[in-house]
Amino acid sequence: MTLEPTRRHFFGRAATGIGVTALASLFERAGLGAMLPGLPHFPPRAKRVIYLHQSGGPSQLDMFDYKPGLRKFQGVDLPGSVRMGQRITGMTSGQSTLPVASPIFEFKQHGQNGAWASELVPHMAKIVDDLTIIKTVNTDAINHDPAITFIQTGSQQPGRPSMGSWVSYGLGSENENMPSFVVLLSQAHAINTDQPLFSRLWSSGFLPSKYQGVRFRSGADPVLYLSDPPGISRSTRRQMLDGIAALDKMRSEEFGDPEIETRIGQYEMAYRMQSSVPDLMDLSKEPDSVFEMYGPESRKPGTYAANCLLARRLAERNVRFVQLYHRGWDQHNDLPRDLALQCRGTDQPTAALITDLKQRGLLDDTLVIWGGEFGRTVYCQGKLSQENYGRDHHGRCFTMWVAGGGMKRGQVIGETDEFGYNIVSDPVSVYDLQATIMHCLGVDHTRLTYKFQGRHFRLTDVHGEVFKKILA
Amino acid sequence: MKKTLGIVLFIAGVVPALPADSNSAIDFSREIRPILSDNCFQCHGPDEKHRLANLRLDIREGAFAQRRNGSIIVPGDSAKSLLFQRINHADKARRMPPAMAERTLSDKQIDLIRRWIDSGAQWQTHWAFTPPQRLEAPAVSNAKWVRNPIDAFVLARLDHEGLKPSPEADRRTLLRRLSFDVTGLPPSKAEIDAFVNDKSADAYEKQVDRLLASKRYGERMAMQWLDVARYADSHGYHIDSHRDMYPWRDWLIRSFNSNLPFDRFTVMQIAGDLLPNATQEDKIATGFNRNHMINFEGGAIPEEYQTEYVVDRVETTSTAFMGLTMGCARCHSHKYDPISQKEFYQFFAFFNTTSEKGLDGREGNAKPFLKLPTPAQESREKELEQLIKSTQAALEAPEVKQAQQEWQSTLAAHPAALNHDGLVAHFEMDGSLVDSSGRYQHGRTLAGDPTFSGGRIAKAVGFDGQTLVSLGNTGSFDRGDAASMAVWVNYGGAKQPMPVFEKIADAKSRRGFEVWFDEPVLVAIQRRAAHVMVRLSSDYPASAIEIRSTHRLTQGEWNHLTFTYDGSGKAAGLLLFVNGKPEVVDVLHDALGGPLANQGELLIGAKEPDAKTFSGSIDDLRFYSRVLPASEVDYTAVHYPMRAILSGIGGKLTTNEEARLRDYYLRYVASPDLHTKQANLADYRKQSGKLQKEILTTMVMDEEEKPRETFVLGRGDYRNPTDKVTPGVPAVLSPLPAGVKPDRLALARWLVDPANPLTARVTVNRYWQMYFGLGLVKSAENFGSQGEPPSNPELLDWLATEFVQLKWDVKAMQRMMLTSAAYRQSSRVTPELLEKDPENRLLARGPRFRLPAEMIRDNALAVSGLLNPAVGGTSVFPYQPAGIWEELAFGDGFSMQSYVQSHGPDLYRRSMYTFWKRTAPPAQMLVFDAPDREKCTARRLVTNTPLQALVLLNDPTYLESARVLAARAIEEAGKDPARRAAFIFEAATERRPEKREIAVLIKLARQQMAVYTKDSGAAHELLKVGEAPVDEKLNPSELAAWTTVASAVLNLDETITKE
Repeated sequence: MTLEPTRRHFFGRAATGIGVTALASLFERAGLGAMLPGLPHFPPRAKRVIYLHQSGGPSQLDMFDYKPGLRKFQGVDLPGSVRMGQRITGMTSGQSTLPVASPIFEFKQHGQNGAWASELVPHMAKIVDDLTIIKTVNTDAINHDPAITFIQTGSQQPGRPSMGSWVSYGLGSENENMPSFVVLLSQAHAINTDQPLFSRLWSSGFLPSKYQGVRFRSGADPVLYLSDPPGISRSTRRQMLDGIAALDKMRSEEFGDPEIETRIGQYEMAYRMQSSVPDLMDLSKEPDSVFEMYGPESRKPGTYAANCLLARRLAERNVRFVQLYHRGWDQHNDLPRDLALQCRGTDQPTAALITDLKQRGLLDDTLVIWGGEFGRTVYCQGKLSQENYGRDHHGRCFTMWVAGGGMKRGQVIGETDEFGYNIVSDPVSVYDLQATIMHCLGVDHTRLTYKFQGRHFRLTDVHGEVFKKILA
Repeated sequence: MKKTLGIVLFIAGVVPALPADSNSAIDFSREIRPILSDNCFQCHGPDEKHRLANLRLDIREGAFAQRRNGSIIVPGDSAKSLLFQRINHADKARRMPPAMAERTLSDKQIDLIRRWIDSGAQWQTHWAFTPPQRLEAPAVSNAKWVRNPIDAFVLARLDHEGLKPSPEADRRTLLRRLSFDVTGLPPSKAEIDAFVNDKSADAYEKQVDRLLASKRYGERMAMQWLDVARYADSHGYHIDSHRDMYPWRDWLIRSFNSNLPFDRFTVMQIAGDLLPNATQEDKIATGFNRNHMINFEGGAIPEEYQTEYVVDRVETTSTAFMGLTMGCARCHSHKYDPISQKEFYQFFAFFNTTSEKGLDGREGNAKPFLKLPTPAQESREKELEQLIKSTQAALEAPEVKQAQQEWQSTLAAHPAALNHDGLVAHFEMDGSLVDSSGRYQHGRTLAGDPTFSGGRIAKAVGFDGQTLVSLGNTGSFDRGDAASMAVWVNYGGAKQPMPVFEKIADAKSRRGFEVWFDEPVLVAIQRRAAHVMVRLSSDYPASAIEIRSTHRLTQGEWNHLTFTYDGSGKAAGLLLFVNGKPEVVDVLHDALGGPLANQGELLIGAKEPDAKTFSGSIDDLRFYSRVLPASEVDYTAVHYPMRAILSGIGGKLTTNEEARLRDYYLRYVASPDLHTKQANLADYRKQSGKLQKEILTTMVMDEEEKPRETFVLGRGDYRNPTDKVTPGVPAVLSPLPAGVKPDRLALARWLVDPANPLTARVTVNRYWQMYFGLGLVKSAENFGSQGEPPSNPELLDWLATEFVQLKWDVKAMQRMMLTSAAYRQSSRVTPELLEKDPENRLLARGPRFRLPAEMIRDNALAVSGLLNPAVGGTSVFPYQPAGIWEELAFGDGFSMQSYVQSHGPDLYRRSMYTFWKRTAPPAQMLVFDAPDREKCTARRLVTNTPLQALVLLNDPTYLESARVLAARAIEEAGKDPARRAAFIFEAATERRPEKREIAVLIKLARQQMAVYTKDSGAAHELLKVGEAPVDEKLNPSELAAWTTVASAVLNLDETITKE
């Protein structure tokens, strides 16, 4: 017996006497993509999100936020009038001076909008007309753990659901063979840095655990325990599942608990995932031209480049929220070398993802987000020399970009001061960014709530305004 | 424990959990207050600062207040009530709640409020803040069903709803349910048989008593408290290395097994350290409030995290014991409950006086902690302390000091001298790169900025990894020349190999010589060590000598290195000395065929692109055009520096130099006895350091001598302290007794004072939740205004008062629940009942719930016979897919950055002993809804997902259990497939299968028997899963086939469900 749980299957049961409550719960719990009632709140511009998180804090000053005036301040202590007593991390608060380090990289203007980008990101530079570059994202956090937890969950302290979980909870899934929130992780290209990551970043927090992100890993088991064990063939597995279903069904008739019927459905979905996920991960049918576009590392599973390609394949399969993490952006020292390594490993595949989505007509309803948990300081950490410098964490302004679903294209938003230290115009807080992402998905961030401990929690806590300037 | 979550959000959002019959009186607490709270209190509630229209609806005075245009509520007259006028206003712009509130009242809710007002608007203070009312057990329709007062309250409710209880569950089902609930494990076959065959009237009660007396009971009780207490084996933030809190966890198990009364249990955990004559156990118990996450992220600000730790204690303590969400009053006064921001910080003040540091925990437990040495460790510790003290005293005797002084002054009169024969270069590095050999080959900086500071002989030159120095054409020698190089090196550490010196012609042939450190290993946190490499090359690698030291030199330590070369062109002619002693080396290349001489510059660092330059320090670099004999090397490394120091070369002696002189004197000059003592002292100190690391500790609470002051923090931010506060409890609850010092002990006693309306209710509710799946108050974590009202308030109050009357006897309380007729009901459900009461709040049937994550795994281990019954101890590392930790980890020598799987019996410990790393918790437990233990969790949600299916089908733990269970079936149930199938089924579910069920399993067995007979290779593959040995006597194909059957059975809904 093969069970194919479909919407009809469950509606079919309705006629046999299960009441509307039980039916609706069955329907919902079977993971068949139910949105919360009332959602979307308005017509969405994006159906899905690909969030390219660059963990560690990429240096905006060396990549996008061009400050030619810094050359004349090279080595000069950052004026107190700029810093204005802003708290800085324990790593540089003990330094006797905070000398300005002018980036050593060349900047040029690109695209029709003349956006500045450095020589580190030649591929992204070519697609600036597809991006909205926001130079004025800001966060109150100054260390990795709180900053990354904040940008992913809306709170610096642990315990809240991640953005992907909120989206998955609110909007459900459009593919019954795939989780709605998928996480892909890749290791650093830089030599010196090694920031940890935490599973809380894709945790469902106080939401039910089925909304937690599911990690897809390179290797034999792309999802934990996905593969049949050695010695169990597909047909044996099928026969086992049929046996399990037959026995569960008997129990269901006996006990009447709808949970049993749901479980039968989950086993079938697991079986389908056993082919749908490997099919997704199998890049062998991609033509050479695609690998050329994403760069040489895209053939190597588990790399950022391969993950970018997987992100496109997940978008094709309508997975709601694809979260990438790339480690290694924490350039406290040896920035010129390590930042260049990071960019060398990520620039081409990132740009390729945008181009690829665009070519396939997916960019219109896919929102892509690029950025770290904060930026880096204009002043040098450690010793400043002509060739070498490091930068500490900087949350007061940093650069992120968004592209696709619902966003204007080819815009550069926000101005920072001549030191790239403070925001001059158009500040975008992390909450604002989160509100805007939700907006693109047709979600009013103030209305997607979950009652926990008596409070109606939401991703943006009690903050956040949709940043309308960047919306198409 | 909401299983049907999505739906309840939109249905229960508008209908109270138990819809009231429209004719009966409206219950304010259950039906009206929740509406007001959820829709109105945000702006018209306790938070004074954000209150609008000066209207307060959470208290009677506000709700019935007179306004200029009438009364808010006019009892008996909804039309005249301003409240009703506004919620029912025809003009949408005037209607409450307003659009900005994101809340709307349904017609049904508006109607309820109307009827409540019209029927007299009876008002009650929030139920949970008033003391429990103990009512007599009500009269019921069927007194025979009632086994104890619980049943009377349950049945009265069913009578009211026109429902009847279900019959008692059959004995097998009942004992399985009871065993899981009380011990977390399934009953054995013998236990089932004994119960099934026990004809005595109190057969069931005897089982309850047996299980409550089992030592498994303590483990099961601890399991639920570990969630509440956010117990973990790692710190949680950022690097997330290990901590040792299992002494606290083991205390917990003991305390439950010894049936510690709940009041004592509470006082010990909150304030055990403050009890008069506090015992070790009392102190260990306070670890409850140290289980929170702890941070040591580099650069983090200590005050920020110290504040978070205290906030966590407030949140955890208030949730665990009082079901209060006090954390909501951190930034502003509570929006729903009468807890002001000031009161939050008064509560905070109780927990803010511990001698903790904001950033701590790099090497394990964070201060304060309690040492728990074994008796042997304790005596060894004392012994070493004594030895160190006495040896030190002997070495510091005045006569020894005086003798040293005399020796020093004698020596100072004789300037230090080395044999300068063949000295071709000498860089003292005492502030410049000058060559003092007389050849004037001064060095120069090529990149960066070398620094000069304290070295081995006066100053040394420091390199930061970005600095490159050239010493010109120094140290040139050819294949046939004799040469020596002597230098002090302090290795700065790096993640890659690191050059020190090179003098080569070009990067391809590498003609010349090089000294470098090879691939390092981590020896401690962020501390590396590496071998020294020396290469003489003509054309690398074909024509070169290359040697490697057997020892690794450690980052941050000074070592003297010398190599001598005799011009033989053989590796045997290249000697390496470390600190004056010949070093045994590995020879990696020994074929130097051509010339070495080159015109390259001698570099400190390297000039290849991408390579790391040297980081560390260099001192007193010498080149000779001869082979230094061993004695001269020894003199240069050991004796000469002391003489140089004493000659006053670096000015006044530094503390460090004094210590070195003293060590040198005791080792080489003083009597052999003192020499031995000095060596012993170093050894004792080493042993003592090692012992201190080995002694188990556990984190505890204490009180600082000068307690930290507490301030209200504006917006909850540690940067905005405002008004100073002292410890205190919220005014809405009973006050602290007069005259008592307001400290943690007073707080602890206040929590379990019968006058506290919350603690007993919250606690009995959590027990109820353990057994019935849902608490009488479903929101076990929130008894406040926004929590769910109790489904049976009379029962809850009766239980709470009974608990106090029982003197907080936990087992007695639980025994009462477990022996009730309500608990013993069958959990079968009819479509009608499912429709009327989908969540079983009325209890017309027994509980049916999927087992918690831990029990699912423990069941598989138990029914297969693999379970290791050991109680307590260090946490273990069962099977886990490779890379789960490593892909997220920081590394660099911190603990628990990579997962090292256990072997043998540790693979089969109960799941509660699995090492809990917060940033990457046990994957299969998270899939089954275990929380991540970052915060206090009072109830788990239960989901049903495909990932759960994948775990049960493919995780080696379950396959191994299936294989071992199948082997038992083959060995114990004979040849008949039906008996084997029944054996497996009964083992996993405790139920005898029906014929049609057996038929399904036999069919599967036959299918797979055919498969594995044909493909014995596949059978062998399958049997290799898991480390438990396979009985060689069994036919592999047969065992594989039955393994698939057992695996299928372990996947049944029934197997993982408490029915």
